[in-house]
Amino acid sequence: MALHLNLLHEEILQQRQRQRDPLKIGMMVLGALGALMLLYYLWNAYKVLEIRNRLSQAQHDWAKVEPKVTAAQKRSAELNGIISTTKVLDGMIDARFFWGPLLEKLSRCVALNAQLTSIDGSVVDDGKISIVIEGLAAGREPRAAAEELRQLLLEQLGQSYQQVKVEFKALEDLDTIVKIGGSNQAMARFSINATFGTQATKPSPTPGPRTKIREPRS
Amino acid sequence: MKQVKVKLSKDQIKKLLLSGMGFFVLIYVYFSFFLGPLNDSRDATLKQIDELQNKVANSKSELTKTAKLEKQAETATSRFAALKALSPEGAPIAWFPPRMKTFFANQEIDKATARLETSAAYKETDLANWMRYTWLIELPQADFASLGKAIASLENSEPLLSITRLTIKALPEDPQFQQVTITASTAMVKR
Repeated sequence: MALHLNLLHEEILQQRQRQRDPLKIGMMVLGALGALMLLYYLWNAYKVLEIRNRLSQAQHDWAKVEPKVTAAQKRSAELNGIISTTKVLDGMIDARFFWGPLLEKLSRCVALNAQLTSIDGSVVDDGKISIVIEGLAAGREPRAAAEELRQLLLEQLGQSYQQVKVEFKALEDLDTIVKIGGSNQAMARFSINATFGTQATKPSPTPGPRTKIREPRS
Repeated sequence: MKQVKVKLSKDQIKKLLLSGMGFFVLIYVYFSFFLGPLNDSRDATLKQIDELQNKVANSKSELTKTAKLEKQAETATSRFAALKALSPEGAPIAWFPPRMKTFFANQEIDKATARLETSAAYKETDLANWMRYTWLIELPQADFASLGKAIASLENSEPLLSITRLTIKALPEDPQFQQVTITASTAMVKR
């Protein structure tokens, strides 16, 4: 058997040690990992760029639409304001009390033997009307003539208004004698207080249709 | 099975530790300064896109809604314009009394005067741009029949005018005529 002498033993060992240098291997691994990470980063960056393009497109779309939307919102608020204001104003208009028809009714109630000297009517807060009518009535029975006027007022007002109350506030005989139709007649001074509501009363709730029918006993 | 025992020298262990530290530093730097901010930026951008797309989608419905509302409000708009037109430009005290004087003169009732009693803003928020004026209209000499017609005509021609008090007194010296005082409130646009 031939003798084999390795004279380069130390050099070979050093070379092997250099090859197995953990720092070198670590640096290589780190380099490879770094390269992979860089690639992954670039891929992500590319994706982000793509997303940013989408964002700029969306921003462009929104910039186109935004003025229209702002104007529409403004107009919408304005229209809603107009609708609600008109509704409130219409409510006020509908809730008004019309004095023209009332004056017409009053004129119908006054007979030849009566004279109104003063009418004072006002709208009370809860939608009721209060009228104070003062005047003179003449006749053989002047108080009866005044009562006739009161009755007529009650009847006439009751045709158009709710909760009508017509009451004498004062009724007194006068010493004055007046000549009507050639005959002397006594006079009375009256003061009538009339109150009535203008708003229709709420209808009473009606029962709903029957859903259950009682079955006959078998 | 043969077990291979690797014996590491102190120097090698140091180098291994150094490599490990380098690895952790690399990972930290990569995630904290590169990938993390990039992901944050991507998330923020995606969120912005979502918001904008939602806004654009909502805007379409908003435009449709407004167009529908415009159609629905046609009547209200024209009515509102008509009611607004009842209040001309300028202070009401400048134009309302002459208007009343002319109105009653046309109804054969002369010497009508109107004076402002009070003016106040409405409490309702819907009427923020409107004012309530209370007027005292005096008719010193009016015939009852003409007065009735005039009041009916006034109530029909002035929808925003509401008579709150009416006083009629017979004139003792001329029973054919009456002295009339009308208290009326009107809603007018703030100028």
